[in-house]
This record gives sequence, C-alpha cells and structure tokens, in this order.
Amino acid sequence: MLPRTILYLLVLMIFMASCNSNKSNRDGGLSYWSSSNSGEIEFSKVMVNRWNLLHPNEKIQYQPVPEGQSSEEIILAAVVGKTTADIYSNMWQGSVEFYAKANVLVPLDTISGFMDFLYSRCDSTTINEITSDDGHIYQMPWKINPIMTLYNHTIQSDLRIDAGPLSYKKYLEAGEKIKKDNSGDGYIDQWLGITSTRIVWYQRLFNFYPLYLAASKGMPLIENNKAAFNNEYAIEVFQFLQDIYKNEYFTKDQEAATQDKFIGQTVFTKFTGPWEVKYLDKFKPEGMDYDFTNIPVPDDHEGPIYTYGDPKSIVIFNTCSNPNLAFDFIKTMVVTSGDSLFLELSNQLPRRTGIDTITAFQDFFTNNPKLKIFAQQSKHVRGIDNCDVIVEVFDIISQEYEACVMYNVKTPEQAIADAEKAVNVLLGAR
Amino acid sequence: MPYLLASPYLLHLILFIAFPIVFSVLLTFHKWNIISPMEYIGADNFIRLFHDRLFWKAIMNTLVFLVIHIPLQIIVALALAYFLNQKLFFLGFFRAAFFLPVIISGVVVTMLWQQLYSFDTGLLNGMLTSVGLPRVAWLTNSKIAMVSIAIMATWKNVGLYVILFLVGLQSVPRRYYEAADVEGASSWQKFKYITLPAINPTIFMVTILSTIGGFGLFIEPYIMTGGGPLNSTLSAMLYIYKQAFEYYHMGYAATLGLFFAAIIMLVVVIQKYTIEKE
Repeated sequence: MLPRTILYLLVLMIFMASCNSNKSNRDGGLSYWSSSNSGEIEFSKVMVNRWNLLHPNEKIQYQPVPEGQSSEEIILAAVVGKTTADIYSNMWQGSVEFYAKANVLVPLDTISGFMDFLYSRCDSTTINEITSDDGHIYQMPWKINPIMTLYNHTIQSDLRIDAGPLSYKKYLEAGEKIKKDNSGDGYIDQWLGITSTRIVWYQRLFNFYPLYLAASKGMPLIENNKAAFNNEYAIEVFQFLQDIYKNEYFTKDQEAATQDKFIGQTVFTKFTGPWEVKYLDKFKPEGMDYDFTNIPVPDDHEGPIYTYGDPKSIVIFNTCSNPNLAFDFIKTMVVTSGDSLFLELSNQLPRRTGIDTITAFQDFFTNNPKLKIFAQQSKHVRGIDNCDVIVEVFDIISQEYEACVMYNVKTPEQAIADAEKAVNVLLGAR
Repeated sequence: MPYLLASPYLLHLILFIAFPIVFSVLLTFHKWNIISPMEYIGADNFIRLFHDRLFWKAIMNTLVFLVIHIPLQIIVALALAYFLNQKLFFLGFFRAAFFLPVIISGVVVTMLWQQLYSFDTGLLNGMLTSVGLPRVAWLTNSKIAMVSIAIMATWKNVGLYVILFLVGLQSVPRRYYEAADVEGASSWQKFKYITLPAINPTIFMVTILSTIGGFGLFIEPYIMTGGGPLNSTLSAMLYIYKQAFEYYHMGYAATLGLFFAAIIMLVVVIQKYTIEKE
C-alpha cells in the first residue's frame, strides 16, 4: 500500500513540475501577443516571420492573445499569474496607467533610442497624452479608429454637410425630417440614428466622449487630479443628446446581434469607426450607399473638430528579459513600411503623423476612398486621460448620462455638476 | 486508509471552500487591486459599506425582486404542477416542455427575452398593439423593469419547482380526497384543507431554494439592462461584480460579499422559523 502511495505522489509531483512554463527556455528570444483580429493576426505573422529570418538566434514566439470574454481580462489574469508575453500590441490606452502604477510595464523612455523614434512618429500632443503621472512613457502608440458620423447617402441633403461641418442644428433638423411612423400604428419606426443606451462605462466612448471632444476641441476630462469637464461643452453635449431622445430622433431600443438597423435602413446615421466599412461593404443591400462626416459640433463651433480615436498601444511587460530587443522588434512594426503593411492587412490606421500625406500610404487610400476621411481626421484625435480610475470616471458620467439624457430627471447642468462632484470624491479618495 | 480515501474531498474543501472564505475575510481589511501588493486599511471597507447608497439601493432592488419573484414562482409552479397531476394527453411532452427552460443557458434565455421585451420590435409589444393596447417599455421604464426581470426569471426556473411540487402532490394519499368527497367537500376546500397542508414541506423547500437563487440575481440585469434604468435593476450581486471586476476593488467587493452572505443567512433563518412553524 505504502509504495503505491509514494508512486502516486511521485507522478503528481512530476505532473505539477511539467506544468511550470519556463520562459527562460526560449534561448534569448521573446514572446509577442497581438489581438485576435484576423487582419492583425495576418500582419503579426508576417512581421514575426521576417524578424525570425533575420534574427535566427533571437526568435520571437508569436500567438494571438488567448481567448476570453475580453482581452483586458486575459491580460489581467496573465499579469497576476506572471504568464504575460513580453510584448503585447492591443493595450487600450486607458489601461496603461493602471498597469504602470502597479510596476508591471517597462518604462519605454528608459530604452535607448525610444524617445527619438517616438518624436519621429508622433506629435508632441500625442506624446504629452501618453506620458504617465510619474513622467515616464509606458506605451508605443500603435493604432487608432477615429469615431465619426456614418450616414446613409439618401439623407446627405438633409444633413447639409456640403455647406460646412455637421452641427447640432443641422443634425436635429434632419432628425425632425427623418423620424417617421411608416406603419401608422402611432409609434416611430424610422429614426435619424442609434447609439447604445446601456449605462456600461465603455459605451460612452462612442457617444458622449467623441461629442465632448468635438465640442471642446479635445479638452481633457481630468486635469491635475480633478474633474475638468464641468464646462459649457459637456453641458451642451448633454443638452444635445437629451433633445435627440426627447424628440425621438434616436430609438432607445438595443440592437440585437441579428438586427442592424442601419443596414435595415430604419436608422440613417451612427457614431462609429472605420471597422464599419468592411462590414457594410459585405452586408449592405444593393443600391445602398454611405459615407462619413464629422461628429456633430455646437452651432458656433470654429476650428478643428476632434474626436475619440479609440487608441491602442504596444507595451512591454516587466517580465521581459531583454526590453532593448523587444523595442527593436516593435520598431519594425511601426516604421513606415510596417505601418503601410498594417493598413493593407487590417484596414486600421496607425497612430502617427502624416497618414494622409505620406506617399507610402497613398495607394491604399486611393483603393479605399471611404477610409480617407479617417486619415484626415487622424490629425485631430484624442485618446483617454492618464488616470488609473478612468473606468470609474466613465461609470459616473454614464450614470448621469442616463439620468439626464435618457430619462430627463436632471438638467444637463445638474447632471454634469453631480458627475464632477462624484469624480472629485473618487480622485480625492485614491 | 480512511484519510487517504477522504483526501480528495478534503483537498477540494480546503482549496475551493475553506481557503477562499478565509482569504475573503482577510481581504475585507485590505485594499487590493489584484496586481499591486495588498494594503492594510483596517475597518475602512466596512465604514464605506455603510455609507454606500448604491449598495443599499442594490440590496433594496434585490429584495423587491424577491418579493415579486418568490410568490409568483410558487403560485405558477403549484398551478402547473396541479395541472400536470391530471390524466392528460401528451402529459410527458408537457412535463418536458415546462422543464426545458431550466436546462437552457441563462445567457441564451436572457438574450431571447431581451428581444421579446424590445419596445420597437418585440413580440410582446407586437401582440399588445395587435389588440389595440399601447406598447409597454418593459426594460426602459424604471418602475416596471424589475417586474419584467422577475417574470423572465420565473419562466426560466419554474420548471424545476413544478417537478418538486408534482412529487409533493403525488405523495398526498388518495384516501384523504376520497374521504373529503364523501363529506361533500368542494375542489377548493380539498385544495385548502388537504393539499396545501400536505405539501407544506415542499412549499417550504421551494421558498428557501427560490430565495437563495433569487439573491444570486446577476445574469438578467447584467445582460438585459446593465443595472438600469436609473439603477432600478441593479442587484447586489451585479454591484459586487462591478466593484471586483470592473473597478478591481477586491477588498471592498469581499466586504460587500461577506455582508450580503450574512443577509442571505438571516433571511433564510427567518423563513425557516416562520414558514416551517406555519
């Protein structure tokens, strides 16, 4: 009996030892995770294969980020278990500060050559935006998907965008013309647009936040550890959205996975990004045409129109044994030739200056004219403020958004003031 | 040898029950976001809990859900069980049909009902307008959103309790009903004076199970409403989830979880002494 027990214990111990993933077995190489987007997978495979051919002694092991409900959850679990890859290229900009404060990321500005490279790629506004509270930079800006107004061509004249940018007045007046009760049952069944009514914090990134950036020319929500959004712009945005729902220009219903009201042509505008182009070209009905324009702005707006760029960055985790080598690999992905290939394979825009002017990208935009407007917009995009509790900030704003915009239980002034108060309490309690 | 045989279960008990409970209690005295070291903060989490208006709203919402859901569940389950206790054609089919929602994934059922409840295109509103009634904002009216969720939860779970009640009804001796027939009792009198007292243990068990299940309300508000409109469907479990997995306030979430567990125990004990006594 006893020898058999010892045998079982031995087998168990051997099994548990073999479960240990020993990263140091990679013989000088590194590991890299990309997102599970098919275009990015294709791009990553090409870049990794090229690198491995040129660096046989410093190979990169590649895989898409492991499957899960969201990549953020997978990364968090991997960080806790110390099983992250060395390099990860789908980090949401808003998450970087959270991980930076936990000392999980390598400060890239400490790597030789990084800052020079960064200044050659991005403007100083972007660089300021990605600089953490401690003065270090933990992310390489990689890609953006600017949020703009998608519209069905049949309402182009109603939007009057030939005579200047899309404004609140033009948008609301178009809404009055477009909303209809086609079935005659007393309920509107044709609307100007749709946006998510869920109060989940990230949904505000696709309605409130782009509108706020557009109205305020890119002002931050948080500044000097205090709420900075209690201003005329946020109030105007809340008022604009409240008017939209009050007048039933947008439906409050959620779209099901099998319903697309834009393709079904019961809504005629959406706030969305360049990913919509491939999707619409595949599924839109014959004869339907669409285009993009700016996010609506206040009627007296002058100057550039900003929007939210949904930026993602490349990071190096502190478990990486050779950050300099990791940076050398990252550089190959974000030089002009890498960006050009990225555009071709993924239809997503690199976060860099000159997307709309650099010769290397011109062929792509000639072949994909609908994406050209996003390239032009890329000069005026913002990401997220560097704040490790930005999720809670957006949650607070979402709560007030619902109360004011969706259900009219607060005025815009009251809602924004309440949001400011709650955010300041949150930031003060950290 | 006995310890060796019991060791797999002991290991499971220690790893998946004892350790998490002990660790949770420890967490309540700390601030922790999973990836940074834990920071001891004493009773701050408990102080915060008592000032957290949203948590108390979530508790109230959960109790409102239970007040609607439990009686509805018991009445509907008992009625269906009474119906299925008759000699009917296709009895097996009906029994399977009522039990089917129990085994379908909660996420699938919730998404299905989200479509049924849709204000513009939902089947329910379509049926209402076809008979000239106005549409109902099932999930976007803060006064009725929780009622809508309670109805959906009842539909999902009633099959299990139908089976339990069916077993209870079939265990009532027939001679009681025969004696009542001889005395000239009506159907209602037989139900009230024979059936209900005889199935009281089943009613008690269904109430306890519904209560414990109801306190775990999470999937429906998470998928259908996100806790809205205006936090009217924010359940305690959803709030604890948000604190833990959206904000990474692990210490505070552990505090909420422990407090909530204490509330559930208290309610179950009260039910035991009131319903069982009756």
